[in-house]
Amino acid sequence: MALELGKPIVEFALSGVDGKTYSPADFADKPVLVVAFWCNHCPYVKAYEDRTIALAKEYADRVAFVAINANDAVKYPEDSFENMQRRAKEKDYPFPYLHDESQEVARAYGATRTPEFFVFDSNRVLRYHGRLDDNWENPAEVKQQYLRDALNALLNSQEPPVTQTEPVGCSVKWK
Amino acid sequence: MSAVRAQLLYYPDCPSHERALELVREALEAEGVDTEIEVIRIETEEEAERHRFIGSPTIRINGVEVDPQPHLPYRLTCRTFRHEDGRLSPLPSPIMLREVIHQVKQEEEPSHGSGAG
Repeated sequence: MALELGKPIVEFALSGVDGKTYSPADFADKPVLVVAFWCNHCPYVKAYEDRTIALAKEYADRVAFVAINANDAVKYPEDSFENMQRRAKEKDYPFPYLHDESQEVARAYGATRTPEFFVFDSNRVLRYHGRLDDNWENPAEVKQQYLRDALNALLNSQEPPVTQTEPVGCSVKWK
Repeated sequence: MSAVRAQLLYYPDCPSHERALELVREALEAEGVDTEIEVIRIETEEEAERHRFIGSPTIRINGVEVDPQPHLPYRLTCRTFRHEDGRLSPLPSPIMLREVIHQVKQEEEPSHGSGAG
């Protein structure tokens, strides 16, 4: 069961690919925080990777993004910490990429897919949960920009027009 | 009916298999191949191993895999296809599908003017 809308953020302290440890408090200077469950191997993450990077860059002054990979790296070696470091460097991720090796954070959020987005407002209350947009296959044919719309609404102290969508992607690979 | 055999193996957790089936149908039609597509559902790691399944969707034409990736282990997940333009996608492109179908079709067709005799 995913974290419910209106609930406070679930705390975490996870290692990033840059060697630092991150928790939600590290993003306190931004009014909105996006927690994205992520990984290396999933084609849906790859399909959404450039779009997510672009969005994070566009909103960098007001919105913090953080990506968390909880996949079992034994069965899915592309998702190892070393490969996370490699991928973040290759794509020049503009956000911390964190390793949830114990999978406890993913379980606490009730994350089931990669990619899956949880958006928290300035009080760090969950206000949007789900997918980035309505077309993983073709960015040119996107009609609904769920995540962007949620960010714009929250930055204007409004309710996101859509607060929940079904995440689309690979299942989180549990141990 | 053609001698070309098409298989689509899928893991139901991945959302792409219905679209993949459409793409295979369209590619077969575009190549003038009239054949049924055998659809195989993969739900366990044992089945993935037995069917040499590296991810969903796996598409084989007469046993020839579209975008083979022999370095990957057999497992239950979604797979990535690299399109001609370099884009990474959960689905093969129509060109990738048609190339394999075309290749298999040529191999199936009896050769002409063998010069035997």
